[in-house]
Amino acid sequence: MLKIRSLSVAYGGLQALSEVSLDVERGQFVAVVGPNGAGKSTLFKAISGTVTPSSGALTYNGRDLLSVAPAERAQLGIAHVPEGRQVFASMTVMENLEMGAYTRNGRARWRELLPTIFALFPVLAERRDQLAGTLSGGEQQMLAIGRGLASGPELLMLDEPSMGLAPTIVDAIFERIQQVHRDHRLTILLVEQRVAEALESCDRGYVLETGRVVLQGSHDTLMSDARVRRAYLGM
Amino acid sequence: MSAQRRSLMWQYIAIGVFAVVYLLVGFVVRNSYYQLIMTLVLIWATMGLSWNMLSGYSGMISFGHASFFGIGGYTMTIAFVDFGITPWIGIPLGVITGVISGVIIGVPTFRLRGHYFALSMLAYPLALLYVFEWLGYQEVSLPMKRDAPALYAQFSDPRVYMVLALGLTILCMIMSLHVERSRFGMSLLAIKQNEPAAEAAGINTLRWKMMAMMVSAGMAAAAGGLYALVLLVVTPQTMFGVLTSAQALIFALFGGVGTFWGPVIGAAILVPLAETLHAELGHIIPGIQGVVYGSAIIIIILLAPDGIYWRIRDRLMQRRLGAPAPSLVPEPIAARGADTGRARSSPGQPLLRLDGVSRAFGGLKAVDDVSISVVEGLVHGIIGPNGAGKTTLFNVVNGFLAAGAGHIDFAGAELVGLKPHEICRRGIGRTFQVVRAFPRMTVFQNVIVGSYVGAATDAEAERLAFAALERVGLADQQANAIARGLTMKQLRLMELARALAPRPRLLMLDEILAGLGHDELEDILRIIRQVNREGVTIVIIEHTMQAMVKLADHFSVLDHGKLIASGPPAEVVRNPAVIEAYLGKKWMDRAKNTVA
Amino acid sequence: MTDLQWFFINFFQALAAGLLVGGIYGLMCVGLGIIFGVMRVVNFAHGDFMMLGMYVAYYLFTGFGVLLFLGPYAGPIVAAALAGPIVFVIGWLLHRYLIARVTGTRVVSAEAEGHYTQIILTLGIALVLENGGLILFGSKPLSVQTPMSRESWEVAFIFFNQARTVGFVISIAFAIGLYLFLSRTNLGKALRAAADNPIAAAYVGVDVDRSHGIAFGLGCGITAIAGGLIASSQSFQPYIGFDFVIVMYAGVVLGGMGSILGAFWGGLTIGLVQQMSTLILPYQLQNTAIFVVFLLIIFFRPRGMFGRVWERT
Repeated sequence: MLKIRSLSVAYGGLQALSEVSLDVERGQFVAVVGPNGAGKSTLFKAISGTVTPSSGALTYNGRDLLSVAPAERAQLGIAHVPEGRQVFASMTVMENLEMGAYTRNGRARWRELLPTIFALFPVLAERRDQLAGTLSGGEQQMLAIGRGLASGPELLMLDEPSMGLAPTIVDAIFERIQQVHRDHRLTILLVEQRVAEALESCDRGYVLETGRVVLQGSHDTLMSDARVRRAYLGM
Repeated sequence: MSAQRRSLMWQYIAIGVFAVVYLLVGFVVRNSYYQLIMTLVLIWATMGLSWNMLSGYSGMISFGHASFFGIGGYTMTIAFVDFGITPWIGIPLGVITGVISGVIIGVPTFRLRGHYFALSMLAYPLALLYVFEWLGYQEVSLPMKRDAPALYAQFSDPRVYMVLALGLTILCMIMSLHVERSRFGMSLLAIKQNEPAAEAAGINTLRWKMMAMMVSAGMAAAAGGLYALVLLVVTPQTMFGVLTSAQALIFALFGGVGTFWGPVIGAAILVPLAETLHAELGHIIPGIQGVVYGSAIIIIILLAPDGIYWRIRDRLMQRRLGAPAPSLVPEPIAARGADTGRARSSPGQPLLRLDGVSRAFGGLKAVDDVSISVVEGLVHGIIGPNGAGKTTLFNVVNGFLAAGAGHIDFAGAELVGLKPHEICRRGIGRTFQVVRAFPRMTVFQNVIVGSYVGAATDAEAERLAFAALERVGLADQQANAIARGLTMKQLRLMELARALAPRPRLLMLDEILAGLGHDELEDILRIIRQVNREGVTIVIIEHTMQAMVKLADHFSVLDHGKLIASGPPAEVVRNPAVIEAYLGKKWMDRAKNTVA
Repeated sequence: MTDLQWFFINFFQALAAGLLVGGIYGLMCVGLGIIFGVMRVVNFAHGDFMMLGMYVAYYLFTGFGVLLFLGPYAGPIVAAALAGPIVFVIGWLLHRYLIARVTGTRVVSAEAEGHYTQIILTLGIALVLENGGLILFGSKPLSVQTPMSRESWEVAFIFFNQARTVGFVISIAFAIGLYLFLSRTNLGKALRAAADNPIAAAYVGVDVDRSHGIAFGLGCGITAIAGGLIASSQSFQPYIGFDFVIVMYAGVVLGGMGSILGAFWGGLTIGLVQQMSTLILPYQLQNTAIFVVFLLIIFFRPRGMFGRVWERT
C-alpha cells in the first residue's frame, strides 16, 4: 500500500534521512521506532508532505505521492495524527472532528464514523462542546486520533502519540490504537519513541538511528534484540 | 597598518569622494529648484540614517520616526518664532529635545515585542500631530530676518543650505560608520540576529537598544530642524505625518538596510525621482510622490528585501570567488595558548550546584525539584527522553526563565534572579540548539560578539576572539570566510568559539552534536575534550547517546522533569529506571521475564 | 436647566453617539480581526480598504447614480453592502499576487526582515492605494448625502442620528451574519482551522493558501462595508485610511488579537471612548484619546479582553 524507497531528506545542512526504505501492506500495523533525533518525525513529515525529500520514491497504492500536494494527500485516504497533537485549540471538540471529516470520504461516512469515534473515546462525547485548547494532553491526543479517524481513512499515521503524556495515559492510548487496528482492520503506521509499546502489537517494525534503518523485522525479533537497546542507550 | 585600519581608511576616502563630488555637482547646477532637491536628498538621507541607526542595525522596526523629526523641527521653530532664538542654537536644541523624547519613548516601548513595538511607534507621531493641531500650530511660517540673515541661518543662496545639509549628512555617516565598527554596532547586530543568544553572550540588550534610540532620535531631530529651516513653512502634517515616517524607512530599505551607504543611495535615487515627477506631473497626477514611494517599497521588498547596496555587493562578492571579505582579523598577536582560563578553585569541587530547582508552566511541571552538582573540570551530561525538561533546565540556569523554586549556586554566588547577560559575565557560556549566524559577516565577526563581555576595549575583544577561534581550529583561512558558506560542523564550531571567547569557567552546550556525520562528530568531540582538558567545565545536553557515553564523565538523567538517576555513564545506562524511561516499562518487564 | 442636568444630557448623548459609531467601528475592526487572525501581521493598508469601500459606495449611489433607483433610504445601504464584494475581489487579488509572495514558506530569507517583510509590504500597498486614490478620486472631501444624514430620531431627550442608527443596525446584522458564516458553514470552519493551526489544517485536507486568500479578501470586504456605512455620516477623502488605522488596531488589540468577537467589542469600546472623550477633551483631541487608550492597553494588557494567552509568532 505504502512504499518508500531510498528516501533521503536534508535540511539546514543536516542529513535527516539517508536512503530509508519501508513497506506498509494493507491491513498491517507497522511501527517505526528509534531514539530522539533518529529522523522518525522527518519520515512522517515526508509522507505527509510537510517536508520535501531530496531523493527517493514514495508511492501510495501505486500512485506517486511526491507529486501530490499535502492537502490533497488527505483526500487519498491517508490520515495524519501529528506530533504534539496539533488540535484546533480555538474550536470545540465537535468542530475538530468535523474538520477531520473535511475529506469527501469523511463527509460521506460521517453518520457511521461519529458513533464509532465516540464509542472508542467516550470522553470526547462528554466534552463535545468544550474548546479543544482546554483539554488535557491525553484528551487532546484522543481528539487528534478521533479527528484522523473522522476522515474515513485507509491508512492512519500517528507521530509519537506518547510524547509528553504520563505513562498510564500512554497505555490507554495505545490500547485504543490496537483496538482500532483489530476492530476496523485499519492499516496503521506508528512512529514512536517508546519501543515496547510500539512494537507490542505491530506486525512489522523498523528501527531508525541517525537517519538510517538499522534493523527491521517482526515484533518478536525486535523485542529481544540487544541492538535496539544500544540504539537508544549507546551501550 | 592593520587590515582593519586600512578598511576604515578606504571608507573615509569613499565618504570624502562622495562629499567632494556632491559639492561639485551642487555648484554646477544652476536651477534653484534642483539645488533645493539636492538639499532635500541630504536631509532625507540623514533621516534614513537615523532610522537605520535604530531599526536597520537592531531590527526593531520603527514606523514612527516622524516623532523625533517633528519634535526637532518644532523646537527650532518655536524657539525661533516665539522666543527669537536663532536656528544655529535652535537646531542643536532640537537635537537635545529629540534625544530626551527618545528616552521617554524608549523606556516603556522597549518592553514590547515585534508588532506591538511597531504599532506603538506608529501611534506616537499621530498623537503628536493631533496635539499640535489642537495647540494651534496649523501652519507656522518662519519670519524673515532682513537685518542679520546669516545670524538667523537665512541665506539667499540655496546652495548654502546644501552645504549645511551635506555637513549634517557626512557627520551622521561618520557616526554610523564608527558605530558599525564598534562593539555598539556589533551588539545591535547580534540583537537583531538572535536576541536571546546575544543576552546569553553577555550583551546588555536593553542598554544598547536605548543608546541606539537616543542617537537615532538625535539625528532625526536634526534633520527635522534643518527641514523646517529650508522649507520655511511648518505644518503638523509635514512634521509628524505618516509619509515622513514612511520616508525614513523607505530610503534605508531601498538603498540598503544595516549599512550607512544604504540611506544615502536610497535618498539619492528616490527623492529626485519623486520630486521631479511631482514637479512635472503633480498638477495632473497629484499624489505621484506617494505612488512612487509605495511602489519602490513593494518592488524592493519582493525583489531585494535587504536593499540595493547588499544586492550589488553580493554580486561583486560572488565574482571574486574565495577572496576574503574586507578583513577585520588583526595580525597574529603573540598572546597565544597562554591564559586559557580564569583563576579556578581546586578542581574536584562542585562549581555549579542546583538545589531543588523547579519551574512550571501553568499546571505542567517542566522541571520538578531537580538537584544537580556539577564538579569543576568534568564533562557533565544531561540526558533523558524527549520532553524531559532538559532545555527548560538550561534556560532556567541561564536566566531566560525564572526558577519557580530552588537555588542555583555558581562559585559561591546565587544565580537565580540574574539576567542572562549578567550570568554570562560571571563566567558561564552557552551555545544554542539552532545556530543563527550573521550570514554576510565573517566567522571572526560572528565570534567577536561573544568577546565583548570579557573585554574592556575593542582591541582586547579582538584578541579574545582570535584566541577562541584558535582553540576550535577555525583560525587562519576560515576566520575570514563569510559565514553563509559554512558547513554545519563549521557553524557549530563557530558557535562554540563565540561561547568560549570571554573565557568562561563553565560551558553549557545544547545539542551541539545533533545531526552530524560520524567524522564530523569525532572532530567536534576531540575539540570539546581539548577545551575540557584546558580547564573548562562542561555541561552538555545531547541525544546522540553513542557520543555521549564516550565523552561524559558523569550523567544526570531527567524524565518528566524529575531527576531519576545520576552517576558515571556505564552505571547509569544499566539503571532500570533509566532503561524504562527510554525504552518503556514493557521493555523492562520483558527484560526481567527473559532474564528470570 | 441646572449644570448637572446638562451634564447628564451630554453624557447620555455622548453615550448614544458612542454606541452608534461603535457599532460601525466594531464591524470595521472585525474585518481587521479576520486578517490578523489569519496573517498574524500588521496590515497597514487596512484603512485604505475602508477608504475604497467609502468611494465604491459613493460612486454606486451618488457618483454614477447606479443605485439611485432604490431611493434615498435603501440606496446607500445597498451601495455599502455592494462595496463588500467589490473590495473583496481587490483584496483577494492583492493577496494572491503580492502578499502571498512574502508569507509562509516563501519568505525570502534576509538578514533584516523575517516577518517584517509583510508589514513593510503592506505599508507600500497603503501608500499606493492612498495616493492612487488621490489621483483617481481627487482630493475634494465627499460624502454620501441622504436625507437621513442630517435627520435624527429623538428618544427621550437623546438624539439618534438617522444615518448612524441605520448604519449601526446594518453593522450588527453583518456582524451576526459573519459570525454565522464562520461558525456554521464548512468554508467558515475551514477558514478558522487554517487560521488556528495551518499545519493541522493542511493535514485534514484544507487548502491553506486558498483559505488565506479568501480570509484576506473577506477581511477587506467587511471593513469596506463598514466604510460604506460611515460614508453616509461623515465626509472622507483618500487619506482618511490612515486616520483609521490606529483606531482599528486599538479596537482589535483591545478586543484581543485572534478573537473576532473580541474585535467587535473592541471596536465598540473605541467608538465609545472616542465620543465620550468629547465630554472632557476638546473635539480635535478625540483621536488622541484613542491613541492614549491604545498605548495603555499595549502596555498593561496586551492580551486584550478576549485574547488568547498564547501568541503564535
